[in-house]
Amino acid sequence: MRIVVCVKQIIDPELPASQFRIDASSNRQRPNGHPLVISPYDENALEVALRLKEKAGGTVAVVSAGEPSAISALRKGLAMGADEAALISDPALDGSDAFGLAAALARGIQKLGIPDLVLCGCESGDWADRTVGPILAEALNIPCVSFVAQVDGEDGRLRMRRVVEEGYEVWEGAPPLLLTILSHESNIPRYPKVKDIMTASRRSIPTWSAADLGVEAGDIGKAAIRTEVQQLTLPSRESRCELMDGEPAQQVTTLITKLRERKAI
Amino acid sequence: MDLGLSPRQEMFRDMVRDFAEKEVAPRAAAVDAEARFPAQTIRMMGELGLMGVAIPEEYGGAGGDMICYVIAIEEISRACASTGVIMSINNSMVCDLIHKFGDERQKRRFLIPLARGEQLGCFCLSEPDAGSDSGNLRVTATAEGDHFVLNGVKNFITNGREADIAIVFATVDRQLKHKGISALVVEKGTPGFQVLKEENKLGIRGSSTCQLLFEQCRVPRENLLGEIGEGFRIAMVSLDGGRIGIAAQAVGIARAALEASLQYARGRVQFGRPIAAFQAIQFLLADMAIRIDAARLLTYRAASLRDGGVPCTRESSMAKLSASEAAMWVTTKAIQIYGGYGYITDYPVERHFRDAKVTEIYEGTSEIQRLVIAGHLLG
Repeated sequence: MRIVVCVKQIIDPELPASQFRIDASSNRQRPNGHPLVISPYDENALEVALRLKEKAGGTVAVVSAGEPSAISALRKGLAMGADEAALISDPALDGSDAFGLAAALARGIQKLGIPDLVLCGCESGDWADRTVGPILAEALNIPCVSFVAQVDGEDGRLRMRRVVEEGYEVWEGAPPLLLTILSHESNIPRYPKVKDIMTASRRSIPTWSAADLGVEAGDIGKAAIRTEVQQLTLPSRESRCELMDGEPAQQVTTLITKLRERKAI
Repeated sequence: MDLGLSPRQEMFRDMVRDFAEKEVAPRAAAVDAEARFPAQTIRMMGELGLMGVAIPEEYGGAGGDMICYVIAIEEISRACASTGVIMSINNSMVCDLIHKFGDERQKRRFLIPLARGEQLGCFCLSEPDAGSDSGNLRVTATAEGDHFVLNGVKNFITNGREADIAIVFATVDRQLKHKGISALVVEKGTPGFQVLKEENKLGIRGSSTCQLLFEQCRVPRENLLGEIGEGFRIAMVSLDGGRIGIAAQAVGIARAALEASLQYARGRVQFGRPIAAFQAIQFLLADMAIRIDAARLLTYRAASLRDGGVPCTRESSMAKLSASEAAMWVTTKAIQIYGGYGYITDYPVERHFRDAKVTEIYEGTSEIQRLVIAGHLLG
């Protein structure tokens, strides 16, 4: 099975909110030497791909559309076990929304050769739009199954456990498919081995421009946006202490009532 | 002059940091409190290639360099100093030694499983009466046919309880002083080789520190590393690498203490303000950061020289001395910042303080480092 995994490089979401800065003019996070990582669900998606390859054979490619720095995210993908990597990077992509990114990714994936399976994280760790995967499936004209926690392959068909609000659904389908992947105990990302890091660091990774891929200028960048971020703010966190009066039993009753009022339980 | 890490080294650091934060740090307090060898962690580190970082792949290692090695020791020691020293001994005092001085058969037989982390090694130089005076060994190696027979006691041997392979320094003739010292590979289970005693320690409690007894212990002559009488030189060359590892360990411990102090100072409110708002605390934090950065740079310099095959005895000693004293100072001040909370075991800084002390002692005390450095200055 040939699998392509889309990975996005983002500012480490584990950083405390106090370290984030927002550029009000562009409504974006202002990079300030922050550590950059692969978006967490994308790593889960890569782990799913690597396990499918280990079980049934095939190849795994990682592809990213972003800044030149995203080459390090792709290199990590190679160190984890991907066979091939490609970066789509072009100033013309600046300001793209999910539609623009999906258009570029679709062309990149087509250049790699149409795969059996495209995997994306179910959402990125920065914008959490949850849209690139489904839009990309549309662009590639293949079915999409979203919020997949587990995938098993058998006789050319895939069996997918898809998480829904009240539990899960089991879907079956034959490639080509695009899946968006959730984190699950079965897809905890592996640590790359040191020798694989050394090997990956020596690999050359092609960088494709929009022109290399034949992407139309009108399909990417600011000119192509269909969604616009109106305002971006850091979450404000307020803490307040409230003491429950009365005997312990009464205190518990009051606490439960208040938690229910706030829909915490 | 480029003082930054290469993309390869950055990727390596990110992997080790991620591993250390997720797999090593959560176990560190229990490893210390229960004086428990972190067997599962060490096994995982072996699988990742962290037990033979700078050893070539053909000998089971990861094919990295000394800079990668010190990055790894710092990150692991930041999470757990016990795990850091277990790793450091195996990498720089055992694997590197066999790689540099072993013959092809010895490398195939001993180095490959050690570098893969399938086996663990220990380095046996110190004796009850030969600590800093390491040329004055009493453990004897008597040639008998195609064997050497070892007799005597080794002291303060890190990894002594768990080690599968021991590098033992012994004298073939005490009259020859350090010129009689030879290095032998002794395998666990060799008759006459046993753990006599395990020490109960102040810090790095998850690593074992043992007294080892050799009693009519017959070791094949083919296990001799280098030549007869070459052991002292082998030990000194290995200590250059070992000291760089301990420097990195000390930097890791100090960094853990600084990071804990920063977190605490931001959250602890006194007189209506976080204590980080007081200059008395800010000055401490600044001085901690400076000492850590200076120690790290000295450590990277020594590692870089060793990567280039340049003699680095002086630089290794400088790095080890600077880093160990920085670690002791930084961890002491960290407890001061925490106040009473720093003195109790609910918070990590008392562990960092206890772990830091030994870095001023093992692989050459601070006094020995000063002697080495002064010796190079005076010629």
